[in-house]
Amino acid sequence: MKIRDIVIGANASMYYKLNFRKIKGVYYPRNTQEVIGAIKHAQSNGFTVTPKGGGSGLSGACTGGNDERVMISSLQMKEIMTVSKDQGFIDVQPGISLDDINEFLTPMGMRFYVAPSSRDIATAAGVLSTDGGGNDTWENGTMRDNTIRVKMVLYDGRLLTIDSKGVKSSDPDLEARLDEIGVTLHDVASSHGTLGFITEMRLLIRPTVEETLIGGLAEFSECNALGKVLTDMIERNSPIRYGEAITIAHKDVREGFDPPLLILEFPEENRSDIKDITDYKPLDATELARMKDIRIKFPKRNPNEGVQFALFEGYGFHGDNLLRLQDSLNEIEALLNDHGMAPFGKYGHGPSKWYLGDNTPTYGLILHSREIRPEGRTGEELLNVVLEIVDKCDELGVTPKPEHKWPFSDEVKKKRLEDIRQVIGEGFNPFLLSPECNDVLGSMV
Amino acid sequence: MFDATGEEQYSPRGKAYLLQVMDQIEDDVELGKEFRRLLFQCSMCGRCEETCASGVDLLKVWHEQRAKAVEMAPEEFEYLEPLKDALANVKNIYGLAEEDRAIYWLDELEDEIPGLENRVYEKGKTAENMIFLGCLMSFRSSQIDVLRSLFKTLEKLEVDYLVMGADENCCGHPLYLMGDEKGTVKLREHNKKVIAAAEAKQVITACPGCLIQLREHHEFENTEALHHTQFFDRLLENPPKYNQTEEFSYHDPCELHRILDIKTEPRSLINKMGIKFREMDLSCCGGGGLLRMTDPNLSDLVIQLRTAKEKVKETTVITACPSCREQLLGQDLETKDIVELLSDSLGGAE
Repeated sequence: MKIRDIVIGANASMYYKLNFRKIKGVYYPRNTQEVIGAIKHAQSNGFTVTPKGGGSGLSGACTGGNDERVMISSLQMKEIMTVSKDQGFIDVQPGISLDDINEFLTPMGMRFYVAPSSRDIATAAGVLSTDGGGNDTWENGTMRDNTIRVKMVLYDGRLLTIDSKGVKSSDPDLEARLDEIGVTLHDVASSHGTLGFITEMRLLIRPTVEETLIGGLAEFSECNALGKVLTDMIERNSPIRYGEAITIAHKDVREGFDPPLLILEFPEENRSDIKDITDYKPLDATELARMKDIRIKFPKRNPNEGVQFALFEGYGFHGDNLLRLQDSLNEIEALLNDHGMAPFGKYGHGPSKWYLGDNTPTYGLILHSREIRPEGRTGEELLNVVLEIVDKCDELGVTPKPEHKWPFSDEVKKKRLEDIRQVIGEGFNPFLLSPECNDVLGSMV
Repeated sequence: MFDATGEEQYSPRGKAYLLQVMDQIEDDVELGKEFRRLLFQCSMCGRCEETCASGVDLLKVWHEQRAKAVEMAPEEFEYLEPLKDALANVKNIYGLAEEDRAIYWLDELEDEIPGLENRVYEKGKTAENMIFLGCLMSFRSSQIDVLRSLFKTLEKLEVDYLVMGADENCCGHPLYLMGDEKGTVKLREHNKKVIAAAEAKQVITACPGCLIQLREHHEFENTEALHHTQFFDRLLENPPKYNQTEEFSYHDPCELHRILDIKTEPRSLINKMGIKFREMDLSCCGGGGLLRMTDPNLSDLVIQLRTAKEKVKETTVITACPSCREQLLGQDLETKDIVELLSDSLGGAE
């Protein structure tokens, strides 16, 4: 075993204690042929395959669980192949970071409009595999909304091209079978590496928009009122360019503000439309920058005593539960308190957008959550709390981890992936869909 | 490092991850060895700390881990012993005689700069400013143009200065980079004593590595340690305009802007001379952290990647660090220290 076999486990989730002896090969291919070679090695030895991008996701999918597996990183597949300003697309290899795409596009006045906070390391294929987005998802959609097509290598080495209409393959029988069950790009989005290895992507690019934006700060006495404002914004399709809510902030990092509050940025000409929805205090450029800074530094700060951690990265409030935001949060806080997790902060994007497991677009508030780490908890205990939170989310109608995706409890998505895998093979990342998934994850916390 | 190799063990997160799973590495002899080597395959540029989402003081972690690695398996770092011996015996990284610190450049420059030999410190001499050249600039012929410009500029501006010369010890930076804090003590104490004896109010160096040691670790009582760009930027409100006939790009040394947080003065000085330049990416040249010694191939790979990516072959790369200069020259790139531009601007090259 070499260091490169160990370090392939590096990822941003809390699932990092891997059994490295089960990693039977680590590949950094540069092109499709090398990807096929790596998969062939896995297949001929009976190993599963785990694709990995930047490792910035929080689901733990890129660890590959505990299977005897081959890990294939996309980090050396980061070329830009073609770009068409007129037709509005760019063709890239899967391992390019979103920042690198925009660094290339900026001089030509174009932009790729998906901006997760991890965009400096998150890879294009990785973001599609979690269907990620950033705080502008409300305006620009998630990764699937900005992906035109992908090319993918399957476990048996066959190639697929998948877009929003269907599938193309050099194997007509495979193409017919996948078309029969209606496979589209929606299925690749948020599939967490369970279908195949993406080797090429065509992404939607648009001209850079120059507009004059103004800032505002709306403050609320409780979160139901915040939820109502967000609901109104969603119903009126308000042009919010930046919307960040803070519902709870630990006193040590509050900096004089009293949540709940909503930081807003929107076009100047929509001033009265927004005023019609909520009262807000105008923020000049410096004040807005300060508020954004407070928000962005939340995950980096700690209380005076103890250390913060992300037990459960996010909650997606939408529909009726957005109107009952305070009540739902009270129930979640009670659950966390029962397990000794003191709240540190809850903050996130609103209004925002994500997709449910059946591909329904959903609009609401994606709220990140940070707690103060309790002492002496085992990985299994922590995972049990996570599973209780998932149950609580189901009970409340809240989407668990809408942004970083929680594939493990999404029965609709899981069933769909299983159906597709019946056709294309089951060699990619099978632990995610196995009944032992929770046990495997628990052992890795 | 990660961009150059494309493998995760060279990324800060990869290394941090290895620390998290150390219990599974330490017991494996070969893995432990590989990890210790990996700790020295790093330019210690501080970029990881700057981008760390959790604000972890990663540089401190790497320093501690390097010290631990050398302590745990000294036999794996035998290649560093000659350097340590040289610093212990003759107080410079090249193992050359101590008294030669002011020989090579003085031989080269004394005819051009009258009275330069009188600027070399001797017991009893005092001056407002003490010039601390560091090992690279004292011994490497590739640095002579920078030295020429530095001294000509100081003379032209009638600065009251002395050069430490043979009384200068290495600043201790190489030892610091291998986690050998103990080894640096004597060197620092000696330098402090000389600078105090010269009654210098300011100690000026063109080497960011030396400045880290002088400013952060020498604990001067009445002396301020400055980078030469800081010194000249303070001194000159309106230097003459530079007669620009070439295209410039600016490579900001990592130790200068990231570790010492000196960002404005070098640019201010360039701008005051009216020089148009383009900023290069704020990335390492591959010359820091002892990397040239611990993994020269990787060090080359980093600068080659940057040279290709940033298309600097057609420009003259401005920088302000002798170590960066060595890296750039190694790729046959045209390079100038800021003080060379200043000297030209002031007519010092005439």
